Amino acid sequence: MAHLYLLSVFLSLLLSISPSLSSNSEGNALHALRSRLVDPTNALQSWDPALVNPCTWFHVVCDSNSHVTRLDLGNSNISGTLGPELGQLKHLKYLELYRNDIGGKIPKELGNLKNLVSMDMYGNKFEGEIPKSFAKLKSLIFLRLNNNKLSGSIPRELTTLKELKVFDVSNNDLCGTIPVDGPFSSFPMESFVNNRLNGPELKGLVPYDFGC
Amino acid sequence: MGSTQMCNLVLFLAILHSVLAVSLGEDKPAESYWLLRFKSGLVDPAGVLDNWSPRAHMCSWNGLTCSPDQTHVLGINLSSSELSGSISHELWHLTSLEILDLSSNSLTGSIPSELGKLQNLQMLLLYRNSLSGKIPEEIGLLKNLQVLRIGDNLLSGEITPSIGNLTQLRVLGLAYCQFNGSIPSGIGNLKHLVSLDLQNNSLDGHIPEEIHGCEELQNLAASNNKLEGDIPASMGMLRSLQILNLANNSLSGSIPVELGQISNLKYLSLLGNRLSGQIPSQLNQLVQLETLDLSVNNFSGAISLSNAQLKNLTTLVLSGNALTGNIPSNFCLSNSSKLQQLFLARNTLSGKFQLDLLNCRSLQQLDLSDNNFEGGLPSGLEKLEHLTDLQLNNNSFSGNLPSEIGNMSNLESLILFDNMITGRLPPEIGKLQRLSTIYLYDNQMSGGIPGELTNCTSLTKIDFFGNHFTGSIPETIGKLKNLNVLQLRQNELSGPIPPSLGYCKRLQIMALADNKISGTLPATFRFLTELNKITLYNNSFEGPLPASLFLLKNLNIINFSHNRFSGSISPLLGSNSLTALDLTNNSFSGPIPSALTQSRNLSRLRLAHNHLSGEIPSEFGALTKLNFFDLSFNNLTGEVPPQLSNCKKIQHFLLSNNQLAGTMPPWLGSLEELGELDFSFNKFHGNIPAELGNCSGLLKLSLHSNKLSGNIPQEIGNLTSLNVLTLQRNNLSGLIPSTIQECKKIFELRLSENFLTGSIPPELGKLTELQVILDLSENSLSGEIPSSLGNLIKLERLNVSLNHLQGEVPFSLTKLTSLHMLNLSNNDLQGQLPSTFSGFPLSSFLGNEKLCGPPLVSCLESAGQDNKGLSNTAVVGIIVAIVFTSTLICLVMLYMIVRIWYNWRKVSISSTGGGGAEQRREEEKWEYGEKEKRRNGEYWKVNSMALAPSQDKQNPSTCIFHFKMDAEITGNTLV
Repeated sequence: MAHLYLLSVFLSLLLSISPSLSSNSEGNALHALRSRLVDPTNALQSWDPALVNPCTWFHVVCDSNSHVTRLDLGNSNISGTLGPELGQLKHLKYLELYRNDIGGKIPKELGNLKNLVSMDMYGNKFEGEIPKSFAKLKSLIFLRLNNNKLSGSIPRELTTLKELKVFDVSNNDLCGTIPVDGPFSSFPMESFVNNRLNGPELKGLVPYDFGC
Repeated sequence: MGSTQMCNLVLFLAILHSVLAVSLGEDKPAESYWLLRFKSGLVDPAGVLDNWSPRAHMCSWNGLTCSPDQTHVLGINLSSSELSGSISHELWHLTSLEILDLSSNSLTGSIPSELGKLQNLQMLLLYRNSLSGKIPEEIGLLKNLQVLRIGDNLLSGEITPSIGNLTQLRVLGLAYCQFNGSIPSGIGNLKHLVSLDLQNNSLDGHIPEEIHGCEELQNLAASNNKLEGDIPASMGMLRSLQILNLANNSLSGSIPVELGQISNLKYLSLLGNRLSGQIPSQLNQLVQLETLDLSVNNFSGAISLSNAQLKNLTTLVLSGNALTGNIPSNFCLSNSSKLQQLFLARNTLSGKFQLDLLNCRSLQQLDLSDNNFEGGLPSGLEKLEHLTDLQLNNNSFSGNLPSEIGNMSNLESLILFDNMITGRLPPEIGKLQRLSTIYLYDNQMSGGIPGELTNCTSLTKIDFFGNHFTGSIPETIGKLKNLNVLQLRQNELSGPIPPSLGYCKRLQIMALADNKISGTLPATFRFLTELNKITLYNNSFEGPLPASLFLLKNLNIINFSHNRFSGSISPLLGSNSLTALDLTNNSFSGPIPSALTQSRNLSRLRLAHNHLSGEIPSEFGALTKLNFFDLSFNNLTGEVPPQLSNCKKIQHFLLSNNQLAGTMPPWLGSLEELGELDFSFNKFHGNIPAELGNCSGLLKLSLHSNKLSGNIPQEIGNLTSLNVLTLQRNNLSGLIPSTIQECKKIFELRLSENFLTGSIPPELGKLTELQVILDLSENSLSGEIPSSLGNLIKLERLNVSLNHLQGEVPFSLTKLTSLHMLNLSNNDLQGQLPSTFSGFPLSSFLGNEKLCGPPLVSCLESAGQDNKGLSNTAVVGIIVAIVFTSTLICLVMLYMIVRIWYNWRKVSISSTGGGGAEQRREEEKWEYGEKEKRRNGEYWKVNSMALAPSQDKQNPSTCIFHFKMDAEITGNTLV
């Protein structure tokens, strides 16, 4: 009896390994994202993982090579958390998740989005630190993280982002000083208000994470 | 004689009573009377109780065993008799009853508590019925009961503690009911209990410590309950135990080492609990053990078990834990191992394939999937000659698939997907006559698919997705008569499809997409009558489809997109069960056949980017499941048939880039699911129907490049989900409706190239998510640019050019920090540009006569331009002067460079002894040093830190450095 039972378990396991008919890494990544999100208004209803690619899903935009370039989920009443799989959307340019109820940490894997131009995560409940890995986002021009619950200091690594034009972290719980190098020389003070920040960095005088 | 007559009369009355109801109050009716009462409560469709009649002696009745003197019933056996109804409360009158077996019927109702009076009862078998209610407490009065089996019923409630009084009990079967509460501790009183079966109930609480009292227990099964807490160490005292099954409970803690003392144990399953810690090595003492299943727990640490000690082990399942390290060496002893199944999947085991596993000569199934194993697959794999299933997927195995795999003649499934296996598929694979499943997907394999693979005639599933296989599909593939699934997507296969593929008549799924396969489809495909899904997208197929494909009646899903197929699409429409048809980007021509509508479940129809002509068939109105409807980029003419208004499920409605004409139908507003509507680049005329405002889920509305006229309807403001609105290049007139401010999620808005009038509504400033573009250019807009546009802080492009806008450029526009394209040109704007706009090119502002400030001419100049204009001759003079001066400077500099180079060459030649590479490096440093010197004074402080190391390195080459200095000094003096 026991043997029969085990064999049947094994057989059912074998059967469960279905052929990879729907394998598409970007679609899988987005579907994994969907499974982490709570979506009371069914904004993600069209996200069918059985399709060849996610390019016909609503809120997803692809380029001509069927790579995802935009994810538009701003103002969509979604909550839940993000996961590392978002980092697999290597061709993503616009990540628009603003004004939702998404919490948890910002996954460091988002630093892998080499082509990202704009990351709009403002108006959520993100907590934890701004990932240092964002320093790898060499194409990034717009980074809006305002109105969240982010803490820790502003990573100094971000001063290497040459293209960065807009940086807004206002209304968070950040501490330490504000960088002054690189693109940070031109950001207005409004981008930093309502934090526990101690004003601009004074190099050599005070450690940048003073007061953290 | 009178007395005998009297006797007869009494007997007659007794029988009469037994047939009619009892109301005469006789003290002791015969047992047959109670049996007939019992029968009267049963429904007997099979007639098993037909001979239970007063006319015959009860001892001749079916299913009864009588005492030798034929006066008492000792046993009732009515098992599997299709009986329903309930068990009589009066059975207790059968006082001599020893065996009552009513198992495997359909009895309902409860177990009568009166059964507790059957003091002679030894066996009570009521299992496999539909009895409900609780176990009566009185059951505990059955002092002689040895076997109690009442499982597989609908019984519920707690297990009565009185069960602990049944001290003669040998077998207790309570499985497959709905019992809850905990296992009564009195169970420990059952000294003679041999078998205890509690599986599949809802029992919770701890396993009672007292269970060790069941000294004779051989079989303990309590799987599929909610038992919690530790496994009591006292269970180690159950020395007779052979089977212990506690699977699928919520037991926690670690396995007590005492379990290693249950020396007779043959079967141990703890699968599906919350047990943790190391697996105790004491389990190795269980030399009788045949099956050990500890899967789906939280066990950690290394595998401490050894088949070398567990000599009788045939099945070991440790999958789904957090085990680390490798499989221990000497795990199996080659000559004695009986291990047939070894399942270690879903752990974090690592290291290379343990070669000692090859000593497990009896292995039939080996599952190491979902671990971190790495390195090559051993060439000695064929030593596992009994192996039928090899499952190594989701690891990091690398290297080639060893050719010796061809000697594993019993192999039925080879599952290697998601590894890093490289190299060719060895031709020896063709020797595997029993191979049924081969999954190699998500590896790095290359080379051709060997023709020998088609000798594996048992193959049912081939999945090579995501490798680098090249060459063509083997000519002989038609030999695989049992093939169901052929998945070759995402490889580098080329050449035409061999006609013999059409002889794989069992094929249900064919996926050849994402390759470089060319040629036409063979006519032999007509034999693939079981084909359900065929995906050929992203290849180089061409030519018309064979007409005989029309014979494929079972097709559900067809995706031929991105090829060069031509001709009619009719051959694909033989099936009336299509759910998805995607022919995007081919060269199909001719009309869209109305036969498509026979597939009433069609939900995705994508025919875009072809040469289809004619009208959209009005029959499409029957496709009520249609969800994705894309006919864009064809040559379709005519109007949108009104019947399409029946297709209420449409979410994507894409007709762009055709020759469609007529007006936009108002019924579009009744398509409640609509998310994307693209009618752009057609010849639609007339108004934009106000009804569109009902499509509240609309995300993208593209009507640009048509001949639409009239106003933009106010109802546009009802589209509160809208992301993209493109209405450019039409004949729209009137005002931009201020209701547009309700489209709060809009990020792209294009209204350019129309005849819109009036001023830009200040409400546009509320669309703060506008990002991609706000394009109002080439209209007749007038008035001032509203300062509220300064709120669009995410906006990247703003174009209001070619209008009649007046007034100053509002200073608030300087808040548009995201802007990288701005076009205010060709309006009537005036005054000074905000200074932050100096970074935009001149063309952003040209054509505004009265506008000034950088990048345009400064406002001072423009103010004085009228009276202080330079004459043409003065301009020419200035230009000549500038050209002359700059030429002179260039010449001087050229001379300097030549001098420097000359000196430098001299130095280089003088020190060639150092070797070429080194020399070049010195040159680089030199140049660096020069720059540094020039910058000296200006940027020194900024760059000093960065340059310090390179200065240090220059020390060995001071000689060259001095020469260089000299050269520069010379250069300087010459100037």
